[in-house]
This record gives sequence, structure tokens and C-alpha cells, in this order.
Amino acid sequence: MAAETARKFEALEAQAQKLMAVFIKAGYEAVAPSMIQPAALFLDVIGESLRARTYVFVDPDGDELCLRPDLTVPTCRLHLERHPKADAKAKYCYNGPAFRFQPEGSGKAHPREFRQAGLESFGVPDREKAEAEVVSVVLNALKAAGLKEWKLRIGDLGLFRALLEAAKMPECWRQRLMHQFWRPDAFRTELERLTKGAANIPRDVPKDLIAELDLEHPELAERSVLRYLEAKGIELIGARSLAEITANLVSIATDARTEPLSAATAQLIESYIGVTAPARAAGARLKDLTRDKAIDISVALDAYHRRLQLMTDMGVDVVHADFSAEFGRTLEYYTGFVFEVVAPGLGTLSPVAGGGRYDSLMRQCGAPGDVPAVGAAIHTERLLASITGATP
Amino acid sequence: MSEGLVLALPSKGRLMEQTHDLFAAAGLVLRKVGNARGYRGEIEGMPTVEVAYVSAAEVAWYLKTGRAHLGITGEDLIQEQITNWADRVDFLKKLGFGHADVVVAVPKSWIDVATMADLDEIALDFHRAHGRWFRVATKYVNIARRFFAQRGLTDYRIVESLGATEGTPAAGTADFIVDITTTGETLKANGLKILDDGLILKSEANLVASGTATWTPKAREAENEIMARLGA
Repeated sequence: MAAETARKFEALEAQAQKLMAVFIKAGYEAVAPSMIQPAALFLDVIGESLRARTYVFVDPDGDELCLRPDLTVPTCRLHLERHPKADAKAKYCYNGPAFRFQPEGSGKAHPREFRQAGLESFGVPDREKAEAEVVSVVLNALKAAGLKEWKLRIGDLGLFRALLEAAKMPECWRQRLMHQFWRPDAFRTELERLTKGAANIPRDVPKDLIAELDLEHPELAERSVLRYLEAKGIELIGARSLAEITANLVSIATDARTEPLSAATAQLIESYIGVTAPARAAGARLKDLTRDKAIDISVALDAYHRRLQLMTDMGVDVVHADFSAEFGRTLEYYTGFVFEVVAPGLGTLSPVAGGGRYDSLMRQCGAPGDVPAVGAAIHTERLLASITGATP
Repeated sequence: MSEGLVLALPSKGRLMEQTHDLFAAAGLVLRKVGNARGYRGEIEGMPTVEVAYVSAAEVAWYLKTGRAHLGITGEDLIQEQITNWADRVDFLKKLGFGHADVVVAVPKSWIDVATMADLDEIALDFHRAHGRWFRVATKYVNIARRFFAQRGLTDYRIVESLGATEGTPAAGTADFIVDITTTGETLKANGLKILDDGLILKSEANLVASGTATWTPKAREAENEIMARLGA
């Protein structure tokens, strides 16, 4: 980290106090999760790519630890320590350092050590209300710190899920499209594959074997696969069993014999992903898109409008907010509403605050099931830079 | 001497021999200074050049930190050890030896998997069946991670392997591997196959210049001379 002057340190401390005062007044309990965290949990939640941007190390006991790359997972762990079943409602806020590896020359808006001030709300069943509250509290905190201008951007992965659920296709295709949503190129390829019909896409798997598989009787299919392996002199090695390999071959064979995705549905999905509009107009656009296609996403759309209304009631200016269907596509742990606050002089790649809903994170951290969870964090160095007009 | 050029060369094995042959053919006579196992050397008739004999892996580190101006090592080691190698070193010349492909290889018995996309497709089912993500054994931790990120594969864990990587799937310590191969025979013998799009890097020995070393006029002069002789 670049050496810091006492003056900047004090300015950040003073700013953090203003932010925290707003959080605490709104009913969020101040907590201080550990800076050093078990690496395995982050690796499971975020994936191996975490290592490329996190300080992971081994302690003298041989345990793999990391310097926390953000405070959301540590706050989930803190909550689980208090309530192992995650069955209590709780609202937390925090301010403290987080650490991320940055390649040389990545600029001052991306320091490897930075302070995050944020809040998390767990277990609130009224999702739109909890989301609207988090946005309004974050904006109030930014205002209290002295930020005068900003741009709010929102997205909603719940709408995308609703669209897939309403469209006619096998459940496993839905799961696959949802899984690929975060990888735009792979998503497009998958969509094309489903539209052309899996049977028409060359795939480097043993075709004779695929053709003879008995899709109704797994044990017969398994026998075919075993015969194939023996005939080719291939030894079965590793943890993946014959049953698993067979099950996947059966699903490939089933795909090949299933009616392709209709071009109209594929077109609808692509049109949806392309929607960017002012927040209020976006709802109407989405309604128009689906109206004549016999696809009903009205429940998700109602939730979208209700959230906007609640935000307005809580004093958020939604008239100038922008909606983008693709927004949220780079952050895999979000599961629903997402938002970002962009401040003047910093650009859209360096938002001053951001957050959203992540209902599956608590389960990944060890809770027995999904828990409604929504939170947000403020990048405090960027905020100070934007307010003082200095470079961060 | 500190004004001159430091040339880092591999200190042992085929890579060292082939480097010596290359230099000899170009009329550059390398000589170790002190005892024959010494770590320093010189080029006959070029007093401004100091040769540092280090392991091929250390050559990359010398170039990254600017301890050497020029070095000879495999592209695989450069890409593995220097995070933003494209900004920090220049590849001056491919040398035509030390060939090795860095590849993704899976068990041959995975007859349902031929591409990276296939691998991604079974990742979730694998997790469901085994309660853990795929384990990938490799000594090329950074190269593997970068390649998987480009191909959108996120659901795996790396197991660092420092030897006999190709045996890890059969031994059960890993599910598939990222490793170097020249003919593919070792992989085959261990019941593995290379994915259709699993070639990550065609590596060979390279003459590499450091972007972080201090380049004095004398060092530049020596570099030009060496490059002219090597035809780079």
C-alpha cells in the first residue's frame, strides 16, 4: 500500500464515522469480523479465481488462510457463529480494511488494501422492502459523507430467472443457461446449441454408443458403457464412477432427442439481455417484450415495480436510475436485485458503492438452507476522492 | 562490471547443453569461472557480460526482478512466474529447443468429455456426487488458472503438484491435470487424454529481455552484439 499521510488517514476515519452513524441509526449493529479468514470457504464460494486476486497463505500449522477480500463472507460467518441455523433476523454494519491483489500498474482507484464500509441484512422475508432499505441507507450514508452527485444503476437477476422459468424448455436446460449467465460468450454458445438442436451440433463423443444407450434403464445403459470401455481397452481411473459417466452420456443422448428450443424463445432471451433503460421505463419494456409471447413473468415484474415504489417512498430518486438486464453478470454470488452507485470523476469501472441480494451465500457458508440476504459496501477511498476532488 | 550486462542461463540438464551449443554455433564461447560447477561465467572476448548460471525457474525470477538483463528459459516458466509478463519482459527470439506443450489432460475413461465446455458442464454434477469441486493437479498454477478463467471454468480447486503430476488421477489425489508433454506418451501410459481444446501453450526456450533491469549504454551494446551473433 502506498504510504498514507496522517491527514488522509484522519479524513478516512472521520468519513467512516459519518457512514457508520447513518448505518447504526437505521438499526444496523456494528460488528468487526476477523481480517484473517479460512481460505477454503472463500475458494468454495468464489472459486479458484479467488487466488488470483487474494492474499492466500499457509500458517505454521499448515492451515490455508487468507486476508479477507471483502467483508460479506466474514459477516455471514459471524452471523452463523451466533446463530448456527441462521434462523434469526439480523442487521449488521462494519467498516474496515479488505485486501485484493492488483497487478502492477492497475491504478490508484484499485489499491490492494482499502477500507470497506458496509451493511448486511439477513433473514428479512420481505425481499423488496429489505432491498429498498439497503439502497436508501447507503445513499443516505453517502449524502451524510458529503457526496452531492451520483448515478444509480440497478439490475435484477430474479427477472431473468422468471423468464427462464416461464419459457418452455427442460429443467436441465434452464439450469445450464442460469449457470452460464455469468459468462456471456459461453451463454451465447449454449443458447445457439439449444436452438439448433443438440443433435445437429457435432460433439466429440462416441456416437454409436450414444445411439444404443437405453435411456429408460440406467443399469442397462451402464452395461453398454462398460462394454464400450472394455472393447477399447480403457481403464476406469479416478473418482468419477461409471454411473456418473453413464448419467452424463444419457443426458447428452436425451438432449439429442429433445425438440430444440424455439427460435422465438431464444430471441426473447436475447432481447431481454439487451434491455437497458431508465428504471421506470424498463418495466414497461419488459412487459411489452413478453406480452404476445404467452410468457408470464408478472410476479417478478410486480416485485420489480414494488421495489421501485418502496425506494421512492424511502426518498430514493429512481427517476434518474438506470436499469440494465445484463448488470450483475460479473458477480456470481448475487441471486436477485443488484445495484451500483457511480460517482463523478471515477467512472463506471470504479463504482463508489455496490451491493445486492445473495440468498444462497449463507448456505454456502454452512447454514442448513438458503437465507434471504441483501447487503452493500462502500469503497471509502473512492468516496473520499470523489468528495474532495482528489485522485483516490 | 555493474555497468555491464547480466545474462542468466540454465545451469544444468539438456537446456544448458543446448544453450551452450547455440552460443558456440554463433561464435560465442561460454566459460564458467572458478570451478566447473561454479555459478558464474563469461563470454570469451566480451568483458562487459557477466553470465549467471541458475536453474531454469530462477532465470524467470532474475528477469522479473531485473537482476539479469537477458536470459534463456522456457516460455512456460516465464508465463507461470511473472504475473503480467507481457508488460515486464520481451521475448526476443524462439530458440528451437526445449519444446514442451502445456495441456489439460483428463482420464481416458471420461468418454463424455472432449472439450473445456464439456468439463464445465459436468462440474456441478461432480460436486453433487462428491461434495467437492474437481481437483486439478499442476505445477503451472497461474497458467492453469488464467486459462480456466478465459474458458469460463470456475468450479475447480488446484492441488499444487511438484512431480509425477500425470499419476495423480490414477492415485486419486486429483481428478485431472495441467502439465507439460512432448510426445503425449507419458500421459497415455497414465490413462489420460488431452482435451481437443486443451492446448494451453506451445512452449520452447526463448531469449528473453528484462523490462525491469537497468539498461546502461554498455548493457545495450552487449545486448546488440549478442543478438546480432544469434541472429535475433
